[in-house]
Amino acid sequence: MIPQSHFLILGAVLFATGLYGALTRRTAIGILMSIELILNAANINLITFNKFLGGPDSLGQVFALFVMAIAAASAVIGLVLVIAVYRNMKTIFTENMNIMKW
Amino acid sequence: MNGLIRQLSDIVNNYGLPQDFVVQASFYVLAGLACAFAFGVVAMRNIFHCAVSLALCLFCVAGVYLFLNAEFLAIAQVIIYVGAIVTLFLFAIMLTANIKDRSIRQANRQVLVSACVTAAILSFFIYIITGNAWKTPAPGAAVLAGPGLDDIGRALMSAYALPFEFISLILLAALVGAIVIGKVKK
Amino acid sequence: MVKYAHLIPLFPFAAFAVNILFGRRLKKASALVSIGASVAALAIAVMAYIGNACGGEGSYTIGRWISFNGFSLDFGVTIDPLSCMMLLVVTVVGTLIQIYSIGYMHDDKRYSRFFAYMSLFMGSMLGLLLSDNFVMLYIFWEGVGLCSYLLISFWFERPAAAKAGMKAFITTRIGDTGLLIGILMLFFTAKTLYFKDLAGLGINDATLTVIALLIFCGAAGKSAQFPLHVWLPDAMEGPTPVSALIHAATMVAAGVYLVARTYGLFLSQHTSLTWVAYIGAITALMAATIATCNNDIKRILAYSTISQLGLMMLALGVGGYEGGTFHLMTHAFFKALLFLCAGSVIHAVHTQDIFKMGGLLGKMKATGWTLIIGGLAISGVPPFSGFWSKDEILSEILKGGHPVLFGVAALTSLLTAFYMFRLIFIVLFGKPRSELHAHESPAVMTVPLVILAAFAIFAGFFRPVKFEFLTMGVSIAISLTGIGAAYAFYILNNKLLPASLRSRFAFLYKLVSNKYYVDEIYDALVIRPCMRFADIASGFDSKVVDGAVNLTAYLSVIAGKVQSWFDLYIVDGIVNMTANVTWLCSAILRRFQTGFVQNYILIAFFGLAIMILIKLIGGR
Repeated sequence: MIPQSHFLILGAVLFATGLYGALTRRTAIGILMSIELILNAANINLITFNKFLGGPDSLGQVFALFVMAIAAASAVIGLVLVIAVYRNMKTIFTENMNIMKW
Repeated sequence: MNGLIRQLSDIVNNYGLPQDFVVQASFYVLAGLACAFAFGVVAMRNIFHCAVSLALCLFCVAGVYLFLNAEFLAIAQVIIYVGAIVTLFLFAIMLTANIKDRSIRQANRQVLVSACVTAAILSFFIYIITGNAWKTPAPGAAVLAGPGLDDIGRALMSAYALPFEFISLILLAALVGAIVIGKVKK
Repeated sequence: MVKYAHLIPLFPFAAFAVNILFGRRLKKASALVSIGASVAALAIAVMAYIGNACGGEGSYTIGRWISFNGFSLDFGVTIDPLSCMMLLVVTVVGTLIQIYSIGYMHDDKRYSRFFAYMSLFMGSMLGLLLSDNFVMLYIFWEGVGLCSYLLISFWFERPAAAKAGMKAFITTRIGDTGLLIGILMLFFTAKTLYFKDLAGLGINDATLTVIALLIFCGAAGKSAQFPLHVWLPDAMEGPTPVSALIHAATMVAAGVYLVARTYGLFLSQHTSLTWVAYIGAITALMAATIATCNNDIKRILAYSTISQLGLMMLALGVGGYEGGTFHLMTHAFFKALLFLCAGSVIHAVHTQDIFKMGGLLGKMKATGWTLIIGGLAISGVPPFSGFWSKDEILSEILKGGHPVLFGVAALTSLLTAFYMFRLIFIVLFGKPRSELHAHESPAVMTVPLVILAAFAIFAGFFRPVKFEFLTMGVSIAISLTGIGAAYAFYILNNKLLPASLRSRFAFLYKLVSNKYYVDEIYDALVIRPCMRFADIASGFDSKVVDGAVNLTAYLSVIAGKVQSWFDLYIVDGIVNMTANVTWLCSAILRRFQTGFVQNYILIAFFGLAIMILIKLIGGR
């Protein structure tokens, strides 16, 4: 059967990919998508540990569900912010959103 | 467990292939596809393509969930992420102009350093994961009884009722907040 | 019917909330909100009065308020003839004054706020009337005090008004402190705060006397009794409807009401009652004499109020509970009437000096005649309301066997008739003494005047008339003498006789026209010593403390000169070097402060990677 470590490695790869995206993307939408990847990596880990350690207990899966809900909420708010900022400043690039900086 | 995968493997079985091999092969194919699409999300220039790539990646991850006794989550993943969130992303992309333009540079100036740091962290993770003895199920004992849909439902309504309510509250707040922020002021 | 009595103060409070929150939006409609609330309160007050008079339904409690340590306090509502009568008076007079204010305040820039305060004032007073224990009473008592402050200094742009508001607040506060101490003493000795328990407390007379005097102290502050009367004449700086409300229905009535409400406490020993009587007598006579010499129409009425309140206290002090509270009611009507008339006159001629008016009766028919009715009522001419109540007071004093106090009361009544008709003759008759373009006030102001005049005539018949011919004869004679004297002085012998009188009794005149120098005495005894102490303190400050400071400064200068050389060459060198090094470091570090979020995250994760590395290398 597939060993636990392979699932964990898949999670790690997704996390690293997401992190790379969050660090390098210029657009707010790109950063948000990368963050979704990171959240998915976390979900994979949660479910993996639930399977291999939890047995019939469903805490990991329930938690993964909560993560999905939070991800949905954050995606909604983030995207609305992007649209609002775009409407006001006519830019989608994070380095141009600097009117609140010193 | 894994009704879907078992049916699949039964079918394959008829063609004389070993069941474990099929299950494992399909997992690695899915995992590889997920990684590839994820890379597409962060690396492609056209952000519209990125969003599509994200959808496919999340779809593959949903497939991976099937190997983890989490059929319900797999379905939920497809519905919530692919069905709702990625659609939202596509809307947002379409609402903000010029974003699909290929001529725009999508990555900032710290690509190289970021790649190094990320690679370092990833290698540490893999080193740690492979360096530890994880509990591996014995071959053939793959059928570990996982939580069914009714278990999750019961848990949500009993032990985790309070966090469940809080999550619904957060979703409501996000809803209201999105409307307030997104409203065009006159 | 009586069961809804606790709603009475809630209407004005609600009106206050609405007006203070939405006043800007409501604009002129805020008057309607206040008046509507007052009318609703009036309707319930009428129901309560009828319910109490016919069915005899009485006090009740709404619910538990405080409960601790074996002691408990309820929200209670007092319903008895006294509170019902006062509720009626306050709501009637308050409503009429608010209607009048529509005309009087029509172009004020804080129109809605004025009505908000008026409603708060009425609500506090009504709550005060209904409370059945000292704690509730004290809360509303302070509410009344607060409103008087807000309303007297309503035109706070004028320094005099702001000062008058402060004076009123501080002076009444002195009395309130006494009241608070009295309440606390009562609580600690008798373990009760309910008015209904006051008759038989079972504590010794000395303590009881002290408590009663402290409570009277509060009453004296609110009712402007000597020696705390000084705030009331200054309170004339407020808008005239406010003066009317303060003088007739709310603020000053509260003191008399408090004494009447806690009458059981005063009756249980005689020392404090005697004090009440004599303080009342002194106040009555003193204020009446001042009123005869004043030239400001509102101040004359203010001193008249003080004098009448003194009369009420005097009546209460000699055991004339009925007479005192009866006079409180009739006085509320005719004094409100007089003040509103004065306001109407001031509104028309824009001056308060009576010697600049004259001959106004022809130009202002309604105001003039209602003013005369008010004057007849306060002077005690039958059958106007003042006659019946004043007569009852006089006969009660006589019955109580106090010939001296009777003399004082009679003299006060004489002076009352005199100064009131002095005012009327000067203002309404004769020839105009200056260039005036008087005109009658609008109907919204005159209609309340007419209604109040009707009350001033007929309020005396609210209770069964008692005929006691001896005192009646005396009091009629007194008031006619006063009016006759005024007529002789100011109509027949215009200005001649007063001048000769003035020169003959120059000393007395000076004393009286300077208000017995009470303000000056306070100035000398209280304010000056405080100022002198402050002066001494500041002198100590400027000589000793400042000297020490200057010496230190001088020494520092010398030391500084020595140091400056050291500073210039050695310290500055080090400082400059530090600055240069800092600049160099920051030039490098500045690169990290990109203000670019993704950069920061990158650095954070770089740190994380380093930490994991350290853990991997060292931790195994």
